[in-house]
Amino acid sequence: MIIPSAVILSMVISSFLLSLLAMGFTLQYITMSVPNLAYGTMAFFSAYITVTVVVLGYSPYVAVPFAFVLGSIASFLLYKFIAFLRDRGMPVIGLMLSTLVFDLAIYALMNIYAELIPHYLHAYIGAFNLMESDFEIAGIPGILIVSAATTSMLVLLFQLILTKTKFGIAMRAVMESHSLAIVHGVNTELVLSVSWFFVGGIAGISGSLYPIWFYVDPWAGATMFISIFAACVVGGLRSIYGSLLGGFLIAVSQNLISFTLASVFGPALWAYSSIWSILIAALVVLKMPEGISGFITSRK
Amino acid sequence: MVEIGLAFNLLLEGIVFFGIYVIFTLSLNFQYGYTGIFNLGLYLPILAGALVVGYLPGRLAMMIYGVKGLDYVTDNSSIMVLLKGRLQNDPLTSIGILIVTLIVAFTVCWLLGYVTGYPALKLPADYMALFMLCLAESLRIIGMQTMEIAGGPFGITTLNPFWWLGSLAYFGLMALIIGFTAMICLVYYVICRSPFGRLMKSIRENGLTAECVGKDVASIKRKVMALSFGVLGIGGVMHGLNLGVVIAYGYTRVDFSYWPWLMLVVGGSGNNLGVFLGTLALVLMRQIMINGKPIFQPFLPFDMLWLEPLLLAIMLMVTLVLRPQGIVPEKPSHVKAPNSEGGNLQSQKQPA
Repeated sequence: MIIPSAVILSMVISSFLLSLLAMGFTLQYITMSVPNLAYGTMAFFSAYITVTVVVLGYSPYVAVPFAFVLGSIASFLLYKFIAFLRDRGMPVIGLMLSTLVFDLAIYALMNIYAELIPHYLHAYIGAFNLMESDFEIAGIPGILIVSAATTSMLVLLFQLILTKTKFGIAMRAVMESHSLAIVHGVNTELVLSVSWFFVGGIAGISGSLYPIWFYVDPWAGATMFISIFAACVVGGLRSIYGSLLGGFLIAVSQNLISFTLASVFGPALWAYSSIWSILIAALVVLKMPEGISGFITSRK
Repeated sequence: MVEIGLAFNLLLEGIVFFGIYVIFTLSLNFQYGYTGIFNLGLYLPILAGALVVGYLPGRLAMMIYGVKGLDYVTDNSSIMVLLKGRLQNDPLTSIGILIVTLIVAFTVCWLLGYVTGYPALKLPADYMALFMLCLAESLRIIGMQTMEIAGGPFGITTLNPFWWLGSLAYFGLMALIIGFTAMICLVYYVICRSPFGRLMKSIRENGLTAECVGKDVASIKRKVMALSFGVLGIGGVMHGLNLGVVIAYGYTRVDFSYWPWLMLVVGGSGNNLGVFLGTLALVLMRQIMINGKPIFQPFLPFDMLWLEPLLLAIMLMVTLVLRPQGIVPEKPSHVKAPNSEGGNLQSQKQPA
């Protein structure tokens, strides 16, 4: 069976973007021990910046810095809200519910924005795909180059920060033990604020690049959240590099399974692609509750 | 006179809506408030129940009356007209179909709860919540994309098992929903006041201790999940019957997971009174928004529907900041324990 180039491209692009999203989600989880339910919605709100930029006649990549800023601000505000509740003694489950506040608010704003744009810019942006506004170099779509470069650069930058800077060491200390980091004089508040700001920016960038190849609607965040979560579970719940690996594995298997099933049973099966990721995650949980990274660690 | 009739209809509609949401929030309270199972995918069994009511009763009626040559999904409206004509004069078959639908929905959702419990309960509480959310979203995708189950993106009309009541058919349905809500309240009340209820609370407080005294915590949690999923499935059936149509797209995390969670948080978890009050407060708010739409909509450049999640977010934020324990905080439970002098029982307070 020959896999068409479009499927391979989708697989590679979604691998890069999903890995980035999974890494951000895991990083937020490790630093605060609170899974951010608003993560998918926050990331995909940026897709609306991209479509606005395209409607205004610019290249979709112009949206990237704006998406970074928007994602960072939203993430920073969310962190402040969680920290405020945490300081008042709220348990983790309450803190997790507090992220719903942002999920709901951003979801509402996203839909309101999608309805306002046709009024002011005369363009329908309920569900959209911006593939036509992308550039090509020697037949290679720009999004492939940009997503690969962005992911590689951000991972490298992150690795450098974590291992070569004082801030990175402080960040690792907070990830290992929040209370111990405080005892050692780490300004945990600053470390966490900057981490969440940075991670929100990463999510924003991923969300802004996504519609350049894939379809996006106001539910994209919720649908994509399945794959993000599956990637984190497969990679390992508390491992940043595990989540990167999980992102690649989920994106590849999701596309391959969908392609195989669609070839056998018909193209309608492409619509179910998100489901395979959660099934894979369920199987991994049953066999390796700590994910691939936990499995590798236990074998050493 | 017309206005009184309209107000009466609105009131009844509100009561039914309240009844359905009480089923959802009580089940959530049973899972989280009593057992500590953190499930954000509440709409998984609700949607499963709704899909059963979209799939089964119509096809069952077609089989019974020997309707052939028509496709249940594509010819749905013609089939419904045909079945209405038959079921109007056949109360026995109508009730029979309803009972079978309820049993199937309960069984399917019970199994769903039991099976999903295996991987879900292996995860930490927070990740379990996400896992359930993803499972629910997956079922929604299946429901939306599969025409054969319940019409896929277009949805499907459900039959009313009380068509034989003629113009009172809707009231029959309302009585059914209210009756089931009362029955479910009673079942949960009895279970929560029983030794099993106290066992659930002990697991919520400290699962490890419960395990140390020989309790199979995982098995108990799975049972709780299975039962509450079954009840939520019944809630889904009631919701589908009440609307008269099942569209999988409409079963969103906001309406069927976040709303019940907010009701629980606002009312206060771990006690049924709090659940009732929280549900009542939010149902009232929602009814005001729905009925106030014609007044406010002309002033807004977007659909007023989108203010609902925004208001929900504000309400959740205010509750978490000002009253995180809810309107009615959980009271310490009372247990009977033997006193030191012999076999007589005395009431002792136990911290919640």
